[in-house]
Amino acid sequence: MNTSLNRNKWEPYVWLLPSVLLIAIFVVFPILIVFKLSFSEISKAGVVGGFVGFDNYVEAVHLPAFKVVMLNTLYWVLSVVGLSTILGFIIAMVLNQKFRGRKIARSILVFPWATSLVIQASVWNYIIKYEYGNLNNVLLNTGIINQAVNWRSSYPVEFVWECAVGIFVTVPFVTFCVLSGLQSIDGSLYEAATMDGAGFWSKLRHITLPMVRPSLTVSTVLNIIYVFNSFPIIYTMTKGAPAHKTDTMITYLYMLSFYERKKGPATALSVIGFLILCFCAGVYMMTVMRREEEQ
Amino acid sequence: MKKLLSLLLALVMIFALTACGQSAAPAAPAAPAASEPEAEEPAGDEITLDVIICQYGPNTNEWFLGSGMNGTNFVDKFEAENPGVKLNLDVVSWNDVYTEVDTRIANNNAPDILNIDVFANYANEGLLMPVKDYCPDELFGDFFPQFIEQSVIDGTVWAVPDLASARALFYNVDMLEEVGVEVPTTWAELEDVSQAIIDFYDGEVYPWGIDMTTDEGQAAFAYYTWGNGGGFVDADGNWAVNSAENVEGIQFALGLIEKGYTNPNPATQTRYDLQDMFAAGKMAMVIAPNQLPTYVADKGGNINMATAGIPANEGKTGSSVGVMDRVMAFKDESAPDQAARNEAIGKFLTFFYNPENYVGWVSMEGFLPAVNSAVEALVASDPSFGAWLDVLGSCQFYPAAKAEWDQVKQGVIAAEQNALTGADIQAELDALQAELAG
Repeated sequence: MNTSLNRNKWEPYVWLLPSVLLIAIFVVFPILIVFKLSFSEISKAGVVGGFVGFDNYVEAVHLPAFKVVMLNTLYWVLSVVGLSTILGFIIAMVLNQKFRGRKIARSILVFPWATSLVIQASVWNYIIKYEYGNLNNVLLNTGIINQAVNWRSSYPVEFVWECAVGIFVTVPFVTFCVLSGLQSIDGSLYEAATMDGAGFWSKLRHITLPMVRPSLTVSTVLNIIYVFNSFPIIYTMTKGAPAHKTDTMITYLYMLSFYERKKGPATALSVIGFLILCFCAGVYMMTVMRREEEQ
Repeated sequence: MKKLLSLLLALVMIFALTACGQSAAPAAPAAPAASEPEAEEPAGDEITLDVIICQYGPNTNEWFLGSGMNGTNFVDKFEAENPGVKLNLDVVSWNDVYTEVDTRIANNNAPDILNIDVFANYANEGLLMPVKDYCPDELFGDFFPQFIEQSVIDGTVWAVPDLASARALFYNVDMLEEVGVEVPTTWAELEDVSQAIIDFYDGEVYPWGIDMTTDEGQAAFAYYTWGNGGGFVDADGNWAVNSAENVEGIQFALGLIEKGYTNPNPATQTRYDLQDMFAAGKMAMVIAPNQLPTYVADKGGNINMATAGIPANEGKTGSSVGVMDRVMAFKDESAPDQAARNEAIGKFLTFFYNPENYVGWVSMEGFLPAVNSAVEALVASDPSFGAWLDVLGSCQFYPAAKAEWDQVKQGVIAAEQNALTGADIQAELDALQAELAG
């Protein structure tokens, strides 16, 4: 009996061990290395030197593009996560209704999510191309416009396009998360609410939203991390041009390290990004979990 | 029993996953060291050289590792002709090569032989061997001297050229004839011709192409500053990025964009975008490398094109831009027999530049040769090589031997791109010059 109890005590840890080992080797260890590198002198060729304290961090925050890159990152995460959450929620509500072709609609929605981001970004690059882009071709051929429009007329517009592509590829993930939450809601709740005279908005506020909140929490936290760390869309569409004005932190630190060969500040920036992400995801998770506990 | 079985399964899984991790490690750039001891281990007197070759085109991999070299490949043929020397050769794309090399250096696992464009950082940090330590004299004498000069720091040659290309102005002959204009030789003529093309085609054709992207913005800087008597450095070889000639040159380029004579988004439209427009008959003139006719043909374009010198300011001489890549050898203090290693590297170079191998490779990639011994065979196979070799002989190169070249390259691109969004180019270049002086 005692042996069995003892075994029960350590058995879960044995089951957890493979995952813990994998995380330790492929996640924790590289993170520790980057932390160490961020306090080391790194030459242009990549040779790691001695300890330099916070020099890399000081250099990183004083780089001319630092402020604009941080702002871009904020706009990028807020707009992509925020708008894709709203749009994903609406689409999930629609797809949760019974209508002809629902299965096809749900399948089609997977496409943007299932396709590689580099391919998505390259395809959108072709769609909005001024010279022979598909969008201009379609609009010209249908007579909606008489002259080709430069859809990438300035860098703020290009950044908006990048955000739009980000939203386009993120919406399916939110939709499926919310849809799974919606499908788990017992239909009798809505019936009871209808009997009590509740309208659409009232049912949305008092039944739907509270019931899908766990799914929304998961999708939002994961999206904050994915979108913050997203590299392919911006790198493929503009490479941060002009002069880092469309860069986010991830693409900027890549350019800094491998184009400008400022490897020390680049590692410092990656640590800053990691800490920001931990902070944002942590605060969000704690807020939501506290609210759930209160309820 | 079931629990015991579960435990056993868990343990098997851990070992399996660990084993997966180990076998995957050599493929990942972050941890190539895992494969290193095996590769470096000499079997008797055998030496294994780690070689990184950049991927110049779709056939590079086939040539070095597949069957693109008359049914065999470079590695197999080399090893058959040079018993005792093995090659651990990787073909790496240009997008990844800097990341790959830097990571390997950081992991104390630099390749023995590297093919890349830059070398100054590696040389300045004491990672490279001088060329004289491993390159046979006969081969060294075969390189074009003006190419070798581009890889000299403090009197020491640190790399040898592997191939080169030269840039010239390509123009659509039919288009210029239709408009009734001559190919421009000066900036004033360029503006007149551009306006005539705009008027004739009602803005449907871009007269001129400019690429100020992160990929090649430094080339745009070279075209317009060299064409105005300026450049990256002054006559003494010191950085002079903010000279009056440079500011005027870039202002002229920005003026072309502002007047609508060029492609609309020079900060994001790369040379390949411009070449696509030229191939599609949407652009009348473009500065491009000697491979443009092949590129256009591959794209299905049928453009009647001709080449001319890059236009310069009135009274100034335009200069073609030469682009050259290099082969270099890294030090390896752990090699048991340095003399034998150097000899093996020499054998690699001798085999690489042997006309029997080199001519086929250079013509396959569509570049220009770096050694005299290949010229005759190349010109015989394609007479247009002769004209391009003349261009190459007179062109200027980027000052890539200077340690700050990376900083200058990115700095001038940032200055151009900031100027495109309204910043003052003089102030931008002044700031870069001050940064270089500081």
